Amino acid sequence: MATPGPAPTTDDDVSSWSFEAIGTSWTVDVDRPVGPAARRAVADRIEAFDRDWSRFRSGSVVDAVRAGAGRHRLPDDAGPLVEVYDALHRLTAGAMSPAVGGSLEHLGYDAAYSLRPAPGHVPAPDWGAVRWEPPYLVTGEPFVLDVGAAGKGYLVDLVAEVLEQHVAGAGVTVDASGDLVHRPGQGAPPLRVALEHPRRPGYAVGVASLDGAPGRRALCASATNRRTWADGVHHVLDARTGAPTTDVLATWVVADDARTADAVATALFLAPPETLRRELDFTWVTYDALGALRASPDFPGELFR
Amino acid sequence: MSSFSPARRWLLAVVATSTLALTTGCGIGQQADDTSSADDTSSSTESTDTGSSSTDEGTDDTGAGAETGGTYTAGEYEAEGSYDTPGGTQSVSVDVTIDAEGTIEAVEVTPQAESGNSVQFQNEFADGIADEVVGQKIDGLSVSKVAGSSLTSGGFNAAIDEILAEAQA
Repeated sequence: MATPGPAPTTDDDVSSWSFEAIGTSWTVDVDRPVGPAARRAVADRIEAFDRDWSRFRSGSVVDAVRAGAGRHRLPDDAGPLVEVYDALHRLTAGAMSPAVGGSLEHLGYDAAYSLRPAPGHVPAPDWGAVRWEPPYLVTGEPFVLDVGAAGKGYLVDLVAEVLEQHVAGAGVTVDASGDLVHRPGQGAPPLRVALEHPRRPGYAVGVASLDGAPGRRALCASATNRRTWADGVHHVLDARTGAPTTDVLATWVVADDARTADAVATALFLAPPETLRRELDFTWVTYDALGALRASPDFPGELFR
Repeated sequence: MSSFSPARRWLLAVVATSTLALTTGCGIGQQADDTSSADDTSSSTESTDTGSSSTDEGTDDTGAGAETGGTYTAGEYEAEGSYDTPGGTQSVSVDVTIDAEGTIEAVEVTPQAESGNSVQFQNEFADGIADEVVGQKIDGLSVSKVAGSSLTSGGFNAAIDEILAEAQA
């Protein structure tokens, strides 16, 4: 099998390295040099996650769930992922669901990247009818599992944990293009992150300031115009209808972990922030279809409006 | 003098159509979407007529030639775009002020609709569009990271790019 993208390319210790993995660009910064063993561990963690969960690779658990109803053993790291999806499925009244894969495939977002939407929309099967009996997912009908709304953020958390095990106490920033975890080094200034204007590349609508104290902080961004392949067709769907969302164009969320921030960044396309904040701890910025910028008063940073 | 070719008016018309489509309710929104699709699939070489009735009052160089040293000719540019709705053809007027660096300093959208849903939609559009170009250049910010979507130009960017190209000395 081919060597995964993130494999170390040098035996030297480095404090910053970049690679391509799970279809996106990653950059890892550590406040001290890191040897090839730690970088190899990062690469292996990403490869394992992709192999286990990708809707775009054969042999993953997605294949089994697609093949038929039954008791499907999920990967060992499944618990937190199922948990955040369960919460957001409930808080969005069913609009957000990991069972939405079939709806995405109907619109052409499939393993072959055909990107040819079939007519109409296909609602997702009811995630509420699926039972989670760890480590088994008990399904009553076949469907296409898609953990794209939270999986990447969760993987960023997992990569940060791998690094913290190898270089305890180090300042670490893991940036997977839109999903970022920052654990500040001692005495380090806050990490300033530009919130890219969804309609004007090269411009920012604000800057988030992550001090990280006392532990990790995560910032996740989502934009529906990032992956639009036909008029009004993008990757954030309302699972109840299978149709792409229209009201919000871009979201940014700061939370203690990227799993939550990533999932909420998607949920903000589907439900009001106040509803989500009833159960989840996060701060937010949204840019809606009319061009209005909104944010929670406690968002760490500044907005240009 | 004409500062906008029909092709540019067409681009602005598409922008108006697709953005308005986002603001509308179900029934009309669907039809506006359809209009947008039709526009999108037509070629930009179709520059002679897209139903755009334009009163071209473009006035470039309002800066009296003061800032011609940069890449762009600073000044105020105006275009009028039209689009089809179930209620008939509607138009909006768009003013863009740029500096010699090509930075957009102001955008003003003047609704032209006189009746029906278009009045409401255009007013919402006009209220919102100024927000679409605020922001600051990331290059000028002291940041370590960028979070968002580096994306290919959408309709609005395409129109703005056309305006900047027009303004290039």
